[in-house]
Amino acid sequence: MSAILRVQDLQTFYVLEVLGTRKVVKAVNGVSLDIHENEVYGIAGESGCGKTTLLRAMFGNIEPPLRHFGGKVLYRMDGEYLDALSLPLHKSREMRFTYIAYVPQGSMSIFNPVSKLRATFMDFLESHVPGTMRKSLLALAEKHLESLGLSARVLDAYPHQLSGGMRQRVSIALATLLRPRVILADEPTTALDVVAQRAVLQLLAAVQKELQNTIVLVTHDMGIHATIATRLGIMYAGKIVEEGYTPDVFASPLHPYTQFLIHSLPRIGDKRVRESAPGNPPSLLHLPPGCPFHPRCPYVLARCREEVPPLLEVTPGHRVACFLREVNHGTA
Amino acid sequence: MRFVRDYLIPRLIQYVLVIFFGITAVFLIPRLTGQDPVLEVIAQIQTQGASLDPVAVKSLMESLRELYGLKGTLGEQYLTMWKRIFSLDFGPSLFQFPAPVSMLLRIYLPWTIGLFATSTILAWILGNILGGVAGYFSQKRWSKVLDAVIMLIRPIPHYIFGVILLILFAYLWAIFPAGGLMLGRKAVFNLRFVMTVLRYSFLPALTLVILGGAAWFQQMKLLVQNIKREDFVQYASAGGVKERILISRYVMRNAMLPQVTQLALVLGQVFSGVLMVEMVFSYPGMGLLLYRGVTRGDYNLVMGITVLSIFTITTAVLVLDLLYPLLDPRIRHR
Ligand SMILES: Nc1ncnc2c1ncn2[C@@H]1O[C@H](COP(=O)(O)OP(=O)(O)O)[C@@H](O)[C@H]1O
Ligand SMILES: [Mg+2]
Repeated sequence: MSAILRVQDLQTFYVLEVLGTRKVVKAVNGVSLDIHENEVYGIAGESGCGKTTLLRAMFGNIEPPLRHFGGKVLYRMDGEYLDALSLPLHKSREMRFTYIAYVPQGSMSIFNPVSKLRATFMDFLESHVPGTMRKSLLALAEKHLESLGLSARVLDAYPHQLSGGMRQRVSIALATLLRPRVILADEPTTALDVVAQRAVLQLLAAVQKELQNTIVLVTHDMGIHATIATRLGIMYAGKIVEEGYTPDVFASPLHPYTQFLIHSLPRIGDKRVRESAPGNPPSLLHLPPGCPFHPRCPYVLARCREEVPPLLEVTPGHRVACFLREVNHGTA
Repeated sequence: MRFVRDYLIPRLIQYVLVIFFGITAVFLIPRLTGQDPVLEVIAQIQTQGASLDPVAVKSLMESLRELYGLKGTLGEQYLTMWKRIFSLDFGPSLFQFPAPVSMLLRIYLPWTIGLFATSTILAWILGNILGGVAGYFSQKRWSKVLDAVIMLIRPIPHYIFGVILLILFAYLWAIFPAGGLMLGRKAVFNLRFVMTVLRYSFLPALTLVILGGAAWFQQMKLLVQNIKREDFVQYASAGGVKERILISRYVMRNAMLPQVTQLALVLGQVFSGVLMVEMVFSYPGMGLLLYRGVTRGDYNLVMGITVLSIFTITTAVLVLDLLYPLLDPRIRHR
């Protein structure tokens, strides 16, 4: 299966000049991913590990202080791969929302507060579908909302008149208006109550069913990944440390960090104290040498302190970046 | 209608109360200072060398008290004041005795409205448009140059800027008159008069537009730079919304909101005029009138101007409150 979106050894760092000294935050530090057609690819990890930054780079939106230091993001269009980070401006503008769409984190505030949602929808449509009558564009927007089970009446509302959950759903509807092949959704359920979370997840499922496209879903909530993600990538300190089909990752997590993430999930009937990974995530300004997880790892080996473990396949489709795989594999 | 019962009527009551208490305060404060304007006038006349016999002084005091609304008990005086306000009759002015204050206001006010209101609105429009565009393109070279120039102009005091313009355009290159439009000239509306006014108000207006515009520019630029960083602008920009739409409907529209509030408050101060500019250009506006009123102890005149100022400022705020929801849908009348 060829990937619809590829990330190859991508490095994007925040470069900050503070009082004359240069600080580099290695937010995405050598990430490689192949994202397939018609799947939900989940990205998990503690906050601050670089998930949002990775999505921004995948969207091709690298703006200061974020800078591109190496690697590629490739979009597949008509059987060819386009380098997303060196597209001419008009081309990347054109591809946004038609090929790839982005629902940013905290998308509560992505709507113009002084305009009705109708105007916002029209602004996006008119910019992408020039030369079409306003009336037919409007009809398009209404039909799209209804096909996703939302009332077209929300277009008459101002953003502040909608509940948080509704605003999130409308932002997903806006992002998918032009039937993009890939949707990047950043923490769409965070800060919502359980009922609203369910509605958002159902909407994402409906979108995926309708458009037969790919969703890259970022959330730190492993429970949500368990229910919706086809495959799962675990991110730690700017790197993918484990990747595999969701059932495989949950059944046999290979990285100690993944094990912590899964074991910290509450389970019905289980009264044991939940343990999360001890200690704090490393500062992306000063990464420890070797494996970035080694200071928190209960199974740390001598070489973990010096060498960075590469991301290697252990069983088909299941990759991990951990030296333990050699120790465990065969014994476990 | 719920709007009328729950919002409009309480708001109008509030409006009336603010004016009532404001004017009452204006009535009480001079009386609390213990100064007697009538005695001051008598003293002034006497220092000018006129010798008055006690009987004449007494009858003069009587008639002055009458003119100043200072006759009778405090309660009677208070009633007299309200009667005068409702009939828009503030009594005679002292320094242009016996011209009534209301006539002076009618003469001076159009000049101030012509200069002050026009140049304030012009400065507002220019400053906001330039500031908005410069804020949106703040990384561009021309924007930085413009910003630097305005940073130099902005702190120049009005009177210095005015004097510089006078030297340049009234003496060195005398294309405009150096002021001296006759004080107290009555406004009539024919072409010749309008041309005269334009010639005489050009330099003071230029002072106000440039210095005022510079202030609006800086505020607007800051507002726009902040709004440009907001999620909804970043998102629309990343999503390919056209720049023209982005600047006007997303950035400017939101940055306008605080500027409209400011403009209403500034315009509400029309009765105080723009003293410094009027002095430099000897322009016959409210600022100069008020200044003379204060320095010469013209009690009725100061009272009249103060009462009308209270009225215009409160009205400006009321109008703003009523219209604001049209500009910002997040604000609702409650
Ligand atoms: N605009 C920025 N400037 C500087 N550092 C940033 C900026 N945005 C994020 N970072 C840093 O980059 C790292 C990754 O952030 P982010 O991608 O937002 O993580 P996540 O989405 O996983 O919480 C964090 O250490 C964060 O502090
Ligand atoms: Mg994030």
